[in-house]
Amino acid sequence: MTKDRLKPLERLAAYNRGDPVDRLPCVPVMGNGAARVIGARVSELRSNGRLLAEAHIAAYRRFGYDGIRVFTDLYVQAEATGAKVRVPLDETAYLDRPAISDVAAIDTLSPPDPRRDGHLPQQLEAMERVLEAVGGEVPVSGAVTAPFTNATFLIGTENFIRLTKKNPDAVHRLCEISLQTGLEFAKAILAIGVTPSLTEPMSSSTVISPRTFLEFSFPYLKRLIDFIHAGGKPVTLHICGKTHPIWQYMADAGADCLSIDNDANLRDAKVAVGNRVRLMGNVPPSAVMLQGTAGEVREAVRQCVAQVWDNPKGYIVASGCSLPTETPFSNIDAMLEAVREIGYPVNATALGNGE
Amino acid sequence: MPVPREQIFGELSDAVLEMDEERTVSLAEEVVRRRLDAYQAIDLGLVDGMNRAGDLFDREEYFIPELLLCADAMYSGLDVLKPHLKYEKAREKGRIVIGVVEGDTHDIGKNLVKIMLETSGFEVFDLGRDIPPLHFVNQAAGAGAQIIALSTLMTTTMDGMAQVVRYLDEKKIRERHRVIVGGGPISAGFAQRIGADGYAATASEAVKLVKRLLGRIAP
Repeated sequence: MTKDRLKPLERLAAYNRGDPVDRLPCVPVMGNGAARVIGARVSELRSNGRLLAEAHIAAYRRFGYDGIRVFTDLYVQAEATGAKVRVPLDETAYLDRPAISDVAAIDTLSPPDPRRDGHLPQQLEAMERVLEAVGGEVPVSGAVTAPFTNATFLIGTENFIRLTKKNPDAVHRLCEISLQTGLEFAKAILAIGVTPSLTEPMSSSTVISPRTFLEFSFPYLKRLIDFIHAGGKPVTLHICGKTHPIWQYMADAGADCLSIDNDANLRDAKVAVGNRVRLMGNVPPSAVMLQGTAGEVREAVRQCVAQVWDNPKGYIVASGCSLPTETPFSNIDAMLEAVREIGYPVNATALGNGE
Repeated sequence: MPVPREQIFGELSDAVLEMDEERTVSLAEEVVRRRLDAYQAIDLGLVDGMNRAGDLFDREEYFIPELLLCADAMYSGLDVLKPHLKYEKAREKGRIVIGVVEGDTHDIGKNLVKIMLETSGFEVFDLGRDIPPLHFVNQAAGAGAQIIALSTLMTTTMDGMAQVVRYLDEKKIRERHRVIVGGGPISAGFAQRIGADGYAATASEAVKLVKRLLGRIAP
């Protein structure tokens, strides 16, 4: 923390004005690794808003990055709608059983109350506590699983994916329930003063076609983004895997910042949509951040910056996706160190031939 | 008027490619009724359709939903044709034990690899998902499988793959089985680091990898 001249909010404000700053904004997207910073079990965070907040505050203070996102797993909304989640003691939770198994049961589903159902209240409590503790110096966001992805958890991924071809009407009904869930959750997050941040992995072009995305994901995504904009907050949209065929649509949906995974190329993204959206990414979370050396982390950062530091709408150095829980602290430090060395405007010497 | 063989096999292939389950079943039933060769119908019809679907998947014209529905059509045709199959033909290529490692229940990728391997004529023992490392080793030994195929989508469960290799070493049966790995966070570098024999990024690459590895194993 003491290494940086500016606080994250000061840095972002200056960067947005186009002023020189100490370094580019940098967000190693912290996930359940926050538990490691306070020596807690991963499973404890999910059911304890105070502890979840404590972990993220401590992780932010430990590393000094430019954005806190409260996130435990993708399933909190689906769980509050009736899905069953398995919670290993010290690993990220995962979907055990969808809320329903048959199309006939769709009518039994209703959007949960985020102040009461499942573990949504703990998420909200954590966001509130983080904002109160450090919201004056760093942007605080809360993860919302976007409608299409959340809908797959309601009836099971494979089942859902078949329905996109066999029963489009059922898919739309599931997505609508899922959208209402997202709207309610986003509303509660906005009421606290935190920024909802959208994650939509099943919309990846690694999974579904751009056409399927346009038909089933885009309309709901756009309505959710419009709602968040009406609440006065910008929207960061993360879609994992390949996304190049849908970058234009992601921008059309209204996203202000696209979080790009390492299966996609930042320079291509800059050319395609860089004059419409800010970009963040795409240091490989597994191959480099988890498994690589500090040297490999620095090299990956230099490559990213070389490709996209001049993006018209701006660039945030980030991991391509949430960091794996066991990502070494030394690699997160190395990411920030590399960004400091490069500075802003970028120091061409420090960048080397990152191309 | 009798339809030449090639034509009905081609129609089967098209029906699979077009995700048309009903038509696949009725064509398969016609193959049986006319006492045509079931293996050829599978190989030149169903498998060919799946291979073409795989090509479209690689070219990003088909995606996972399309592939799943092609697979549904293929399996429904297989149900009709299987009882009429001479099994030796499908068995001579090799045995594979496949599963998702412990701690992970994401099995779409594993299922796709399984489908591609089966349709290429391999005998596949699907252990399912959330499988402990030792179970892979025991099942592979019991089945006499030349290949152990491990899948995961999660970084948290990757070490389970290394554990499989370690158990093979401990039991001194490492040379009997080739270990291949795949899934979202897996890379060729990771495969090499844990001492696996190969990595494939896609289902169709997995088939090529298995064929290459089996070429190196004495029968």
